[in-house]
Amino acid sequence: MTEQQIKRLLIVAGSLFMLIFSLAPFFYMIATSLSSNPYFLSAASKLSLTLNNYHAILTTPSLHFLDYLRNSLIVSAVSAVFTILIACLAAYSLTRLKIPGKLFILFFVLAVSMFPQISLISYLFKVMTEVGWVNTYSALILPYIAWTLPLSLWILVSYFNQIPQDLDKAGLIDGCSRWQILRRIILPVAAPGIFSTTLLAFIFAFNEFMFALMLTTDYHARTIPVGIALFQGLHGQTPWGNIMAAATLSTLPLVILTLIFQRRIIQGLTRGALKG
Amino acid sequence: MKGYSLKELREAAPFLLPLTIFIVAFILVPVLGTIVDSMYLDVTFLKTRFTGLGNYLWMINNPGFWQSLGFTLLFVLVSVPLEIILGLIFALLLNENTAVRGLLRACVLIPWAIPAAISARTWELIYNYNHGLANFFWTKLGNSTSPINWLGSELGAFTSLVIADAWKTTPFVAIIILAGLSAIPEELYRQAQVDGANLFQRFSKISLPLIRPALIVALIFRTVDALRIFDIVYVLTHGGPGGATTSLSLYGYNYFLIGDFGYGSAVSVVLFFIAFILSITYVKIGRFGEELR
Repeated sequence: MTEQQIKRLLIVAGSLFMLIFSLAPFFYMIATSLSSNPYFLSAASKLSLTLNNYHAILTTPSLHFLDYLRNSLIVSAVSAVFTILIACLAAYSLTRLKIPGKLFILFFVLAVSMFPQISLISYLFKVMTEVGWVNTYSALILPYIAWTLPLSLWILVSYFNQIPQDLDKAGLIDGCSRWQILRRIILPVAAPGIFSTTLLAFIFAFNEFMFALMLTTDYHARTIPVGIALFQGLHGQTPWGNIMAAATLSTLPLVILTLIFQRRIIQGLTRGALKG
Repeated sequence: MKGYSLKELREAAPFLLPLTIFIVAFILVPVLGTIVDSMYLDVTFLKTRFTGLGNYLWMINNPGFWQSLGFTLLFVLVSVPLEIILGLIFALLLNENTAVRGLLRACVLIPWAIPAAISARTWELIYNYNHGLANFFWTKLGNSTSPINWLGSELGAFTSLVIADAWKTTPFVAIIILAGLSAIPEELYRQAQVDGANLFQRFSKISLPLIRPALIVALIFRTVDALRIFDIVYVLTHGGPGGATTSLSLYGYNYFLIGDFGYGSAVSVVLFFIAFILSITYVKIGRFGEELR
């Protein structure tokens, strides 16, 4: 065998392994959600397809699946939008204005993103209890904004850095204020980058678990990851079919977003982590 | 302040104000609050009083703390290298110019996009002793009489967590390394091939040194993330069996849950400083700052 053939063989075998490793749990989830018996792998039973699990979670109000999903979508979307607004302002000033200690600010924000969540949660819980916000959207949205800001800021700084400073100068000569330059010149030019960053902030907020676990108590504000994690059956036995149907439906939006915007997600992640 | 006029500072302030408010109010103040609280006896329904290092003294005499510290460090030590190696392999594969490259990349990203708590539920079913996918394959491989007690034994639970975590986070590592790989000019490889370097030499002499910054970034992010592991442990093993997989985050959380905020805070502070020292060390060793400019 030539080197070229060996290489090709390695690539094909490796890619197959990679695909199976990445997708097998996901397909197992879907298969279980569509199966009338969650233990379809046992020797005694065989796979028979049904939509009962989906019907159950969508039409049984006491399971609160739709409540959890709605909470997640609202909380993640609202915090993503606010995060991006705040990060755009900061990224603009950090790339365009004269500010002492720019690099320090950026690294400080990066360090903040490495704090363990557990070191914030008890204080947040106490404060939210005090103001009576536990189990409301605000109790989640406010910490989520702070939590997704560092990453968003880093990505946006890298996008804004690429926009030529001459555009600003032209704007200043035309008599625009800094705000007008940001709104009329920078934001439209950076729109694709801002979109990628919003997408990432949304995914990060949608993934969050510990804050949601500690700061919500029931379906009024509980998000879908916590809802599914705490999902227990009514009759003692774990209702795997229902859980997997809920898991499938709630991850579907993320999977679709990933498939469509794969390139943008990769670009955004890479910028946040590698370039400053 | 030399070189910075008051006018310029006043111009910049409103742009940075919202960021500052959120970071201070929802991250810095809570961390400081936790540090302060760790020096108090703060238990629900009891009178709060200052104990100085009382919580910390109790902690170092508490076997539960050492067990959870041991598990957390071992988890980092096993899972992070595994994820870096797997991520490197994935990145090399995703960097190849095949017809299905875009599709492959999208598929690999899926585990990363799914919330860990949700995929952990799927892993719980996969590891099910009697009916799960893991033992289905294990017994098919000729071990039909000895299925593995994945979640009920110490080694099984540890392995289960490492695999589930690797599944979730390898895509992230792969993406970071892929960025490093794709920045290497094709020319370098072609030249090396002309000079007679084989596949392995081209990888170790060209790729590996040039992706060093990306590897360090992946290493920092993964280590800090693995140290604070919570969701998949909470869902998959609940810290068991017998506390064998209770991560420091879960250990602290359990104390919050029973209302012992002082002790839980002390645990959180320890975790905070471990993460802090490790990331500073990495940055120093890797000269991370230089790479970024």
